[in-house]
Amino acid sequence: MKPHNAEKTCWNCPAAILKGNVDFRACGQSVEAIRKRVEREGILIECARQPDLGRFEPTITFEECPQWRLTEYGYMLENMRVMILGIDGYLGWTLALKLGRLGCEVSGVDNFLRRRCVKEKGSMSIVPIASMEERLEAAREVLGIDINFREIDILDREKLGRFMKEVKPEAIIHYGEIPSAPYSMVDCDHAIKVQYNNVIGTLGLLFLMKEIVPESCLIKLGTLGEYGSPLTGRPLFEGLFPADAVLIWGGREWSLGGEVTPRDPLSFYHVSKVQDTFNIYEACKYWWLRSYDIMQGVIYGVHTDEVAADPRLRTRLDVDEWFGTVVNRFVAQAILGMPLTVYGEGQQIRGFIALEDAMECMTRLTSSPPEPGQYDVVNQVSGLHKLIDLAETVARVASEKFDIPVKIQRVENPRVEADVHPYEVVSEKLPNTFGFRPKVTLEKEITRMFELLTQPEIKERLKRVAHLIRPSTWWSGEKRVAETIEVYTPGTKRVGGFQPVLITKREAIVPVSKPVEELEEPIQVLAKDDPPKKKTAKKVSKRNGAH
Amino acid sequence: MMTENPRRTVVIGLDGVPYGLLDKLSDCGVMSNFKDLKEEGTFRVMRSTVPEVSAVSWSSIITGKNPGEHGVYGFTDLLRGFYVLSFHSSKNLKAPTFWQMDKTCKYVVINLPATYPAGEINGVLVSGFVSPDIEEAVYPREYAKTLYDLNYQIDIDIERSKLSNRILFKQLYKTLDARMKLALHLWDDMDWKVFMLVFTGTDRLEHLLWHAYEDKRHEYHEDFLEYFKAIDNAIGTINSRLSEEDLLVILSDHGMERTEINVNINALLRQEGYLLTEDNPKKGYNSIKRETKAFALDPSRIYLNKKGKYPRGSVDMDEEEDLIQELKELFYDFRWKGKRVIRRVYRKEEIYKGRCVDQAPDLVLIPEKGFNLRARLFSKELFEVDEITGKHTLDDAFLYVKSLDDEKIPENPSVEDVLPILWSLGGLRVETP
Repeated sequence: MKPHNAEKTCWNCPAAILKGNVDFRACGQSVEAIRKRVEREGILIECARQPDLGRFEPTITFEECPQWRLTEYGYMLENMRVMILGIDGYLGWTLALKLGRLGCEVSGVDNFLRRRCVKEKGSMSIVPIASMEERLEAAREVLGIDINFREIDILDREKLGRFMKEVKPEAIIHYGEIPSAPYSMVDCDHAIKVQYNNVIGTLGLLFLMKEIVPESCLIKLGTLGEYGSPLTGRPLFEGLFPADAVLIWGGREWSLGGEVTPRDPLSFYHVSKVQDTFNIYEACKYWWLRSYDIMQGVIYGVHTDEVAADPRLRTRLDVDEWFGTVVNRFVAQAILGMPLTVYGEGQQIRGFIALEDAMECMTRLTSSPPEPGQYDVVNQVSGLHKLIDLAETVARVASEKFDIPVKIQRVENPRVEADVHPYEVVSEKLPNTFGFRPKVTLEKEITRMFELLTQPEIKERLKRVAHLIRPSTWWSGEKRVAETIEVYTPGTKRVGGFQPVLITKREAIVPVSKPVEELEEPIQVLAKDDPPKKKTAKKVSKRNGAH
Repeated sequence: MMTENPRRTVVIGLDGVPYGLLDKLSDCGVMSNFKDLKEEGTFRVMRSTVPEVSAVSWSSIITGKNPGEHGVYGFTDLLRGFYVLSFHSSKNLKAPTFWQMDKTCKYVVINLPATYPAGEINGVLVSGFVSPDIEEAVYPREYAKTLYDLNYQIDIDIERSKLSNRILFKQLYKTLDARMKLALHLWDDMDWKVFMLVFTGTDRLEHLLWHAYEDKRHEYHEDFLEYFKAIDNAIGTINSRLSEEDLLVILSDHGMERTEINVNINALLRQEGYLLTEDNPKKGYNSIKRETKAFALDPSRIYLNKKGKYPRGSVDMDEEEDLIQELKELFYDFRWKGKRVIRRVYRKEEIYKGRCVDQAPDLVLIPEKGFNLRARLFSKELFEVDEITGKHTLDDAFLYVKSLDDEKIPENPSVEDVLPILWSLGGLRVETP
């Protein structure tokens, strides 16, 4: 079988110069109208990498083009110039190393805002991270990667524009946003700070891309949280409704195919991501920019081969209530001997993905750009889990592999969210269009986390931030630590709520996210050669037996 | 050895203007300046190149060579070794232009089609259509500023012009005015020896409104004539600046006539089983399957899908002759409403000579009157009508020389003869053998 992007052509390639060769007034018309025109009248491009070819139709396939090289992730543009905004962050740094190792020319921008935000809340990365100078040096020394770094605030458009002109990135990966719901809910100043940085930063970036690198692809990190969790159980499609979606009202019927699906953000941070979505969607329409908007599930974990290659290359890991994601917090609490805190009923279901898998997705997306004018959305998730189940899994790994006894506690939910809801996520594109198969199971990554975080130096740091894990930021604006509702021993609690449904390959009959009581087996509709998932939920419920 | 000649040469090109149209419009008073000129010079029908396309024809005019020598067979070609359509570039021209043959005198060349990107010249070269980037369309590059200052526009905005004839005429005059401003500016600014100026709005107007020209009651009939009057005024302006000594030549690169119907040659090849593609328009010619025996490039060039020449070539050398005979038969038998569509099928050996013949199309078709041949790869329609009502013709371009000494002008000139005629009239210095 051919690699997933073998048949893509110059039409998708960022080296294809469209400016001056393509009539950009076509923007704003339907993509279909543009396609028809392209078919009828043809479009000519020049190749920035092979100017001697002159102007030609963008029809050379990646497989045929000498500029594209076959890798384990499909064809990749030789020495692709990738710019990472937010390169100092949890994901930015990890991806920089991975892409650098794959032969990309990586450049990066950061103003260390994340370090400052975490410090402002009195916390720190519990995995010690080196200064940028040390990181760059270690990357060179250990992995042989030269990263072109500039300290720039993305809100400083002049500086960012200058750097973009210098580098002429062929892909821009945008991690340069404040990634925290609770941080955005601290107070008015924090909400404004998050929205200003995220929304205005991205909007400015779009204008710069239009001027400087209109052929480059913007790979932008959104969040699965943009969709919310509709109580009707309506599936969370990948950004746009599929062709066969229909709206029925008053006895009449309309196709919804291609329309943006509803968004129901969960915090002012999530609102900023939704606003980004629309700004990017419009920019693609107006200017023929192209973008993948990544609706990423909650990320967790510490491992990639690159960050593990040297202590100076480690990426940050936060466990405080503002910047620590749930699995990371649970592991930290387990190691500290604290009960794992779930909010409210704990029946909230979320999509998850391990760091290593997420980096593979990003690599595959970077190497397989969309078409000019194409705004595409992928739901980047490798599994759906109920928070209370996650706590059980972490507790089990802690006791079985590390001999750490753990309790679970339910605390008041400081957030405004449904804590019992159906949940159905469609994630067809990554497995079917981009050839992605998750490699890291939940247990495997949790085990790796225990191995790293139980090291004495890190455990020591954990103790210093232990008091910042339990939530005290209320969506209502209250400032108080959430009270404990109950504490229990893992394996003794009934599993209620709804059974999540993850659809990676649509079949004729799509199952429904139903209350757990009605179901025996967890539901996973998998792409053909997906490995079967571990049935965590079932195991737990069997072991526990009664309510 | 170089021969010195004090005469200055002025060449005015009227892209796509047929002999018959110019003759008529000058006789009926629309083009009075040209009417006067006719009496002072020699006005002949001229044959264009095969195929009759501006890129090919102008390349022959400025090199004095047939396509087999200069290597340009159309505005498009395939990248060597790929099924990827590439667009003409001046870098592909394999024969020297007149300004490359003699670099000692100064040239001003304005709006010459198919010279993009503008290459080195002793003087100034401003390329004509198709030029996507104005800065690459001018040599020396610093003249781009002059172009910007004059609000110069290389070609009309065809997409917008198709929206309405009002926009079309606005565009035509805008480009013409700026063109003349630039021409007069360079005329005075530079001590040139050869001045070449091409008007391309004529071709654009004829393509879009030939039906309005033929129909006296058409809303835009008068506007059509008015534009030619403006072209005539421009010719008058330039003529008035010439001295007795100077040589004036006016010419077109091909003719034009009414399109009766557009004929899609690739649809015919597909229908008859010679052309097979994946159903993926995004891959263009790269969707051609191995089973393909022949395919066409615009407007009427037929290529055999030869083994060794193309990545999925399937025609063996010993099959070629039979295939060519089969195809010739197919084209000669091809009918629309009982009328024959193809007047002549040329084999490349019949029409091309020179070192670039190996890249030539294997067959080139010449249509009967009114049939506009094209090679849309994915259109399933054999015959179609669209908004383009004027089509190129082969046999009725024109050549005018402001000299009554017509001995040096062949009775039936072709575009390749233009340069030798200029040499023989002493209008250009040329390296003598």
